[in-house]
Amino acid sequence: MRSPIGSIALAAAMIFAATSTQAFDETKYPDWSGQWRRPAGVGNQWDTSKPPRQGRAPLTAEYQAIYEANLKDQAAGGQGTDPTYTCIPDGMPRAMNVIFPMEIVIQPNITHIMIEYLSMLRRIHTDGRDWPENAEPSFMGYSIGKWVDEDRRGRYDVLEIETRNLKGPRAFDASGIPLHADNRTIVKERIYLDKADPDILHDEVTTIDNALTRPWTVTKNYHRVRKAVWVEAICAEGNQHVRIGKENYMLSADGYLMPAKKDQAPPDLRYFKQTRK
Amino acid sequence: MPYRNSIGVVVLAAVFVTAVADARAHDEAKYPDWYGQWLRTGGIQWDPSKPIGRGQQAPLTPEYQAIFEASLADQTAGGVGNDARYSCFPVGMPRLMSVIFPMEFIFSPKITYVLFENNMPRRIYTDGRSWPKDPEPTFAGYSIGKWIDEDGDSRFDVLEVETRYMKGPRTFEGTGLPLHKDNQTVVKEKFYLDRSNADILHDEITTIDHALTRPWTVTKNFRRERSPSWLENDCSEDNHHIAIGKENYFLSADGYLMPAKKGQAPPDLRYFRQSLR
Repeated sequence: MRSPIGSIALAAAMIFAATSTQAFDETKYPDWSGQWRRPAGVGNQWDTSKPPRQGRAPLTAEYQAIYEANLKDQAAGGQGTDPTYTCIPDGMPRAMNVIFPMEIVIQPNITHIMIEYLSMLRRIHTDGRDWPENAEPSFMGYSIGKWVDEDRRGRYDVLEIETRNLKGPRAFDASGIPLHADNRTIVKERIYLDKADPDILHDEVTTIDNALTRPWTVTKNYHRVRKAVWVEAICAEGNQHVRIGKENYMLSADGYLMPAKKDQAPPDLRYFKQTRK
Repeated sequence: MPYRNSIGVVVLAAVFVTAVADARAHDEAKYPDWYGQWLRTGGIQWDPSKPIGRGQQAPLTPEYQAIFEASLADQTAGGVGNDARYSCFPVGMPRLMSVIFPMEFIFSPKITYVLFENNMPRRIYTDGRSWPKDPEPTFAGYSIGKWIDEDGDSRFDVLEVETRYMKGPRTFEGTGLPLHKDNQTVVKEKFYLDRSNADILHDEITTIDHALTRPWTVTKNFRRERSPSWLENDCSEDNHHIAIGKENYFLSADGYLMPAKKGQAPPDLRYFRQSLR
C-alpha cells in the first residue's frame, strides 16, 4: 500500500526545472492567500465528520488496546498517548487539524505551510525531487508535492502531497488515537479549493500506518480570512503541565506542584539534600 | 523617546508604487536573490564583534546594568538569570536575528517571510500599510518593511524593516542582557547582500529601548548554504529545565527532579497528600 508519487514527481522534474529559471508566474497557481481556519463549531478531533471521541479509527487489535488504555488514563487525569502536553509539535498528519490558523505560501519549487503554533512549518517540495536518502526524521516529515491542473483550465487547482520520514511520538488527536511506534507513517493529501466557494479549502488526508488495518481517509475543511490578523500561539507560555520522569504533574495557579491524578505520588526528591518546606 | 523616527511616512509614500506593483504578477527579477539557507557566522552573543556577556559593553542604563549584573550572578550560581528561553519561550525580537538555528527568506510582493528552524516566522509587511491600531503584542513583534533599489540598477537590494509591538520577557542573549520590561522596544534593520560575496547577507540592527542609554547598532552576518537540509529544532523535545513557580530545577538523566543551584530547596509539595517515596 506504500506506493510513492516519486515516479510522477520525477516525470514532472523537467517541467519545473524549466520554470524555476523563469519569473514566478502567479497566474499558474491557485489563490490560496490569506489565513485558513477550522470552520466555526468544528472540534479538534481527527475525523471532523464524527463527534469527538465517537469516531471509530480502523486500528489494529494491538493499537485498539493501546487506545483504550489511553482513554482510561485520560479519564483518570493522565495524558494517555497524547504527547503534546509537553509542547512538542503535533507532527503529521495531526498538524492538519489546524488548531491555530494556517497560511500557505506558494512558490514554483516549494510550497510552505505555516501553522501558527509551535513553529510547525511544512516544506512541500514541488521541484520534482526524489526522496532524500538517510534524511533526519522529523515530526512534520518530508513532503513531496505535485501540482495538478485537474479541470484543464491552464491553472493548477490541486496540490497532491506525500509525506514520509516522520518521527514520534505522535497521535491523531488529543484523544490519543495512536500512530504506530515504528513511525513508518505515510500521509497522502489532496488540497484544493471548493468549486462553489473559493473561501473554502479542502484537504483529503489519507493516512497509511501500521497501527491501522487499512488506509484511513478523512477530509479537512478550512475557511479563509482574507484580512488576517496573526498572533503567536506559544505552547510554553501558559503550559501548566510539568513532566518529571514518566509522570505528568500540574502547576497550580499559585505556582506549586500538584498531582494531575487522584492520589498521585509526589516526585522523588532523592537529589535534594534539604528537607521539604 | 525622540529617536523613534517612524518609517511610516516613507511607507505611506510607497503605497502608490506598491499598489501598482500589486496588480501584476510577482516579478522575481525585481527582488534580490536571497534563496537558500542562512546560517550565523559568529557565536550566540548579541554583538558578534564582541565577547558575550559583559564583553558586549551594552549601553545599559544604570538600573538595567544592575539587573544585568544580578542575572550574571544568578547564572554563575546555576540559575537562569533573566533568560526566559530555558522554559522554551520564543526569544522574540531582536534576539531572533542571532539565528541560532538556520533561517530562510520568502518574498511575495506584499510580505517577506523570515522562517526559522526553531521559532515562529516573522512576517514583514511590504505592502505600504500603516501601523495597526492596538495590535496584540507578540514576541516577534509587528514588522513593516520597505524595499529599496539603493544602487539604481532597477532591482531591489536593501530591505529596511521596523519592528514594534513586542511583548516580553525578552533579552538580547542567553546571558540575560536585558530589554526594558515596558516592552516599548523598536528595532530597525537594514538587510543587504555583501557587495563582494553574494553568499554573505548583512543585517544592520538598531535597537531602541528604554533599558539603553542610546540606540544600539550591531551588524549580523549570515552565510548562505545553497543546497540546504532543514531540520526541526524543537526546544521542548529535550528540555531538562523544569520551572516550578519562580524556581528553575533540572531533570536528571535518570528522570528525577534535581537542584539547579547549590543548596537549592526542593519544591513545596503542599498539594500532595502522600508522603515521599
